[in-house]
Amino acid sequence: MHHVAVVRSQVPHGRIVAIDCREALAAAGVAGVFTGRDIGLRPYGRRVRDVPILAVDEVRFVGERVAAVVADSRSAAEKAAATVIVDVEELPPVLDAEQALTPGSPRVHETPWAYPGAVVSEADPHNLQSRVLHGRPDEVERRLAGSRHIVDRVYRFASGHQGYIEPQTCVASVDAEGTVHVWMANKSPYRLRAQLAACLDVPPDRIEIHPVAVGGDFGGKGSPMDAPLCAELARRTGRPVKLVQRYDEDLTSANPRHSGRIRVRIGCDSDGRLTALTADALFDGGAYAGFKPIATVSLHGLVDIGSSYRIPAAAVDVRIAYTNTVPRGHMRAPGAPEAVFAFEAAFDELASEAGLDPAEIRRRNLLRTGEANPWGETWVESRGLETLEAALAAYRPLDVDRGWRHGRGIAVYDRPTSPGKTSLRLLPSAEGVVAEVPMPETGTGAHTVVREGLARELGIEPGLVEVRQVSTAALPHDDGVGGSRVTAALSKAVAEAASAYIDRGSDEAVTVVVEPGDNPPVTAFCVQIAQVAVDPRSGQVRVLEILSAVDVAQVVNPHAHRLQIEGGAAMGYGLACLEDLVMRDGRVWAANLGEFRIPSTVDVPAWRTVLVEGGRGVGALGVKSVGELSNVPTAAAIAGAVADAAGVRARDLPITAEKVYALLRSEEVS
Amino acid sequence: MRLAFLLNGEQFETEAPGSVLLLDLIRGCGLWGTREGCGVGVCGACTVLVDGDPVSSCIYLAGCALGTEVWTVEGVARREPDLVEAFIEHEGLQCGACTPGQLVMAAALRARGKDPGEAATREFLAGNLCRCTGYRSIVESVRATLGS
Repeated sequence: MHHVAVVRSQVPHGRIVAIDCREALAAAGVAGVFTGRDIGLRPYGRRVRDVPILAVDEVRFVGERVAAVVADSRSAAEKAAATVIVDVEELPPVLDAEQALTPGSPRVHETPWAYPGAVVSEADPHNLQSRVLHGRPDEVERRLAGSRHIVDRVYRFASGHQGYIEPQTCVASVDAEGTVHVWMANKSPYRLRAQLAACLDVPPDRIEIHPVAVGGDFGGKGSPMDAPLCAELARRTGRPVKLVQRYDEDLTSANPRHSGRIRVRIGCDSDGRLTALTADALFDGGAYAGFKPIATVSLHGLVDIGSSYRIPAAAVDVRIAYTNTVPRGHMRAPGAPEAVFAFEAAFDELASEAGLDPAEIRRRNLLRTGEANPWGETWVESRGLETLEAALAAYRPLDVDRGWRHGRGIAVYDRPTSPGKTSLRLLPSAEGVVAEVPMPETGTGAHTVVREGLARELGIEPGLVEVRQVSTAALPHDDGVGGSRVTAALSKAVAEAASAYIDRGSDEAVTVVVEPGDNPPVTAFCVQIAQVAVDPRSGQVRVLEILSAVDVAQVVNPHAHRLQIEGGAAMGYGLACLEDLVMRDGRVWAANLGEFRIPSTVDVPAWRTVLVEGGRGVGALGVKSVGELSNVPTAAAIAGAVADAAGVRARDLPITAEKVYALLRSEEVS
Repeated sequence: MRLAFLLNGEQFETEAPGSVLLLDLIRGCGLWGTREGCGVGVCGACTVLVDGDPVSSCIYLAGCALGTEVWTVEGVARREPDLVEAFIEHEGLQCGACTPGQLVMAAALRARGKDPGEAATREFLAGNLCRCTGYRSIVESVRATLGS
């Protein structure tokens, strides 16, 4: 096995004049050194194919891959990479999304509309990655003009890293027949195969993605990342190669969460009933759009803002801009924690204008069953009100230390449950069955769902079901882990496979492919109540408890389900109070997980969970999704609690002691 | 340099450069349970015991282990299988990337005596990051193995 070390750009924007690899090529153990000129411009991407394997002629962010060294050990590769001299003529960078869309600003790409999959045209502002306009802006303006109370505020969000413990990792080899083999910490093997096929110009059936356990994903491991490079290097050197990113590389040059701002305007009548909502979101997409998988190249959480409520008129405008900063990607419920933070904070501020309690204004406006949400979706049931009441009934105020102030905040989120396409093969084993599944275990319990579901359907002990991930050559298809779809999709596959297996006498292999099909439109609500203590002298915030009330149907594995809720809330807490992937001069400042802090055992508050049972789910097991639910409203609930405690409203995340202190002092001055 | 120490209870000897990290030496022996996460001693995934003390093997020079007793997660799991059982029973893991470090910490805490209570247990585990669970189930797993 040979190892790969990457030479990365040290400037946010520049033209590559020359790359001197001579010393690296002569170094002990080095099998090859490659640049973008060697590889050629072969862009890859999840939707827009704009990410070069190695930079060709131009670098667009600090951390971009410029050259790669292949050597017989990791240290030999790293030492040789350090000797590569990259001569760059610096170009003016654009480091801010607002500035990027201003006429005359530097161009991140010469012709962004020309990339395969691009959703922009030559007529758009030059650095636009995507724009989604939705709703009825004229109607919103008319209704806002007639509203009793109006709030118009801007909320801001730092970037953040997904914080998986296992960094981005890839192994590739090319066999004698030219088939490309990849072992990678990637959550969507079948999509990865298609993305690699498009980039490498190799038919998909000549690419095999092999099974691996993934050490945490949270949205960050859905892209091809280093796989195209590794495949090219394996092909060119004739050796299997391995690339494990050092965590500083992962922090500075992978695909962290988008930073941005949302301006929200909402109105209500004299009874506190919402009249209209409009949201104008502008987010920084960094140097490449290729890490966003959906057709709009946007963040669906932003587009769905306000979804839990009855709002007669709504409009949203979401723009994402290219800048010369690290390319941004997905993180657990992409865009939703930000949209919910902005909406719920504005809603609290509106409640205050209207003289209503935050719980009461939500009670009056939550969707009832049969009512359409602001984006025209109607669900078989809307249990937001029951979920809110369950949270309020379980709420118990906690004591705070002398001199500290107690605060309570409430936030609401709802997320639809939509299964994807997947497949499964069931075959007999010596004592029970083997289930071959197409998706990796990323820590969500996907394989546990299969084991327990099959045990139930076949009437055998779970211990007799062996679940095995197999390569992409072995099964027809899978949509990958993501979109909270895994349990819903797998439970359908499990039911169909078990039924077919029994029908054929339980002694021969069966393969099933399940399509999303006709599922009832189902959404799941999560209402969180945060309790905080704020020290008015220092601005320090202690989050004491997050109480999550969760709207559920059938729960397949109660332990795994609870961990999704608690782990999600921990991530929400990090977003609210800790995580800030600071950039200075276009460079990610954090070099390690001590400088970019994620929550530890002593940071996190206590978790309490209340399940609101009796809901109607989808699929054979009747489930509602949970994986991207509890991480979403947490920051909004904490911000509401801080406002309740301190009397000041933090409008940008994370909410640090410094920010609260500054808000308290400015309050005193005014 | 010549390196000799007790590894998981057995005498271990090898020739290695003085600059080699304990993490790389251990993994080079096929003991892949010890994981590299952050690489700078912050996340705890690479934790092993050196003379009973938990250390971050990613920033620990193998030469410093000369003449010591080193236990990795493989040895800990063999020596104290009830720790593994406790993590399974209390669901103290999800993706598993941090779990070897958490198990080694559980062994280190148990070696210090009885259950110090939840707050002190959390302090003890503060250097072992987990992004999946939210920690409640890890703390419960660790405390379940301690005498009260």
